[in-house]
Amino acid sequence: MNSVYKTVLLDHFHNPRNKGDLDSMDRVKRGSNPRCGDDIEVGIRAENEILESVRFRGRGCSICLASASIMSECTIGLTMRQARHLVQQMLDWFGDTISEAPSNTTLAALGAVRQHPARKKCVLLAWVALDETLEIK
Amino acid sequence: MLTASDSVDFDALRKDFPIFDSGPQTLHYLDSAATSQKPRCVIDAIDLCYRNQYGPVHRGLYPLAESATEAYEKARQTIENFINAPSPDEIIFTRSATEAINLVASGWARQALEAGDEIWVSQMEHHSNYLPWQRVCRDRGASLKVIPLDSSGQLDLDKADGLFGNRTRLIAITHVSNVLGIVNPVEKITRLASVNSIPVLVDAAQSVGHMPVDVQSLSCDFLVASAHKMCGPGGIGFLYGKKERLTQTEPLLLGGGMVDQVLADTSIWAEIPARFEAGSPNLAGALGFAVAAAYIEEIGRQPIAKREQELAATAFEALSEIDGVTIYGPENSPYRSGILSFNIDGIHPHDIAQIAGEHGVAIRAGHHCCQPLMRHLNTPSTARASFSFYNNKDDIAALVMAVHETKKILGS
Repeated sequence: MNSVYKTVLLDHFHNPRNKGDLDSMDRVKRGSNPRCGDDIEVGIRAENEILESVRFRGRGCSICLASASIMSECTIGLTMRQARHLVQQMLDWFGDTISEAPSNTTLAALGAVRQHPARKKCVLLAWVALDETLEIK
Repeated sequence: MLTASDSVDFDALRKDFPIFDSGPQTLHYLDSAATSQKPRCVIDAIDLCYRNQYGPVHRGLYPLAESATEAYEKARQTIENFINAPSPDEIIFTRSATEAINLVASGWARQALEAGDEIWVSQMEHHSNYLPWQRVCRDRGASLKVIPLDSSGQLDLDKADGLFGNRTRLIAITHVSNVLGIVNPVEKITRLASVNSIPVLVDAAQSVGHMPVDVQSLSCDFLVASAHKMCGPGGIGFLYGKKERLTQTEPLLLGGGMVDQVLADTSIWAEIPARFEAGSPNLAGALGFAVAAAYIEEIGRQPIAKREQELAATAFEALSEIDGVTIYGPENSPYRSGILSFNIDGIHPHDIAQIAGEHGVAIRAGHHCCQPLMRHLNTPSTARASFSFYNNKDDIAALVMAVHETKKILGS
């Protein structure tokens, strides 16, 4: 059985990283999907264009929350330009314009969700919100 | 003593549905409220139509066209009898129940409404019985009013001030909730509405294939349903309208077949029901629909209702024994059909449905096109198991197992 509920994903769902209070963030954006009730906020704090902190809070399905947690881990320490590039890679990967996962083993855990078109938006919700925080000048 | 449900061999009927023999994994299909599976007789009727009977309806003078027209009109009579309508002319074939409601909203209500008037719906309506009224009220300066629900999810008619008052132009109400499975007291509503001659539209999408539905005893002005939720093909449904109401209704679609005379700047519509069926009719859909209605009628909707209530009651009991499971709607009561919505604490229903799916259990998760109801239930979404007579105890056991499995994987 090709379950999407792989160990890495479940670990991030049960033990979410960088989840909770967003008070100390410079920029916060909300991502919501009223169709399934997923509703999260993503915040960033940057110093010299480098992401010192990426956090999120909110409610959603396991895939949405695990994706947000994985995202936070994968983007802290990146420059904002690198983070935007990674978001674009994720969008391309889930939009099927590229078939290879971005070169990051943790992100690869989300790959199984690509088989389930209805859940792709759950994965991308946090990433699109992050993209918006990165775009604010 | 044998009861109605006991006298029908439902396990044998399951064999009428080829899909249950089509895959390596047993399919536990608990999503019949979304769309039902199709028995062989319906599939065969559609196949036969395209092989031997297919021709233009109402548009030809050669034998094949004539027999196609005859078969189509016979299908209309089957639906007439299925809901005990007084005349086949009161049955309009549409693409869906949704289209039928839109026809009444755009064709009837738009003209009947004046500023300050009210249309009443309930908080449990499917978006298809909500949005058309919301728009027509907005466009005509009328108000859309909502019958509230009590804590168990049933209509709270006492709190619907003015429901049967003289501003009300229409009450549009679902017969059976597609989320809670509640059977609404339509006869009581039409009786109270009749005092002020208020027309009532009944959304019978979740009832017509699952329990006896008689438009004369319901005493409604309009009733809508679709074929695909009652073992029939997709792409066809119907509107029942009392003749006097249909004569007040403008057609939604204009085009071929619905007009008698087209003059330079005006036209004269064809008779009812042709007036409301512009474009080439869906012959195979109508024939498949009629066979589905006959199939259900042969089993009997009384035994079907009993069977589905029993299955839902068994599932209700089994699920309510599991820690952390919340079931929505009233506890077992005669006002429930075979639909059951639930949640597991701390777990998103999409995860329940996906893990269930991996175990061969097909359930729905989401807001079920009922966002106003979700607000009442104070949850963005639910998981829903909906039973049809072709389901059995194994399906319930598989559902219960899937819930345990979901808790094991995602529970804290």
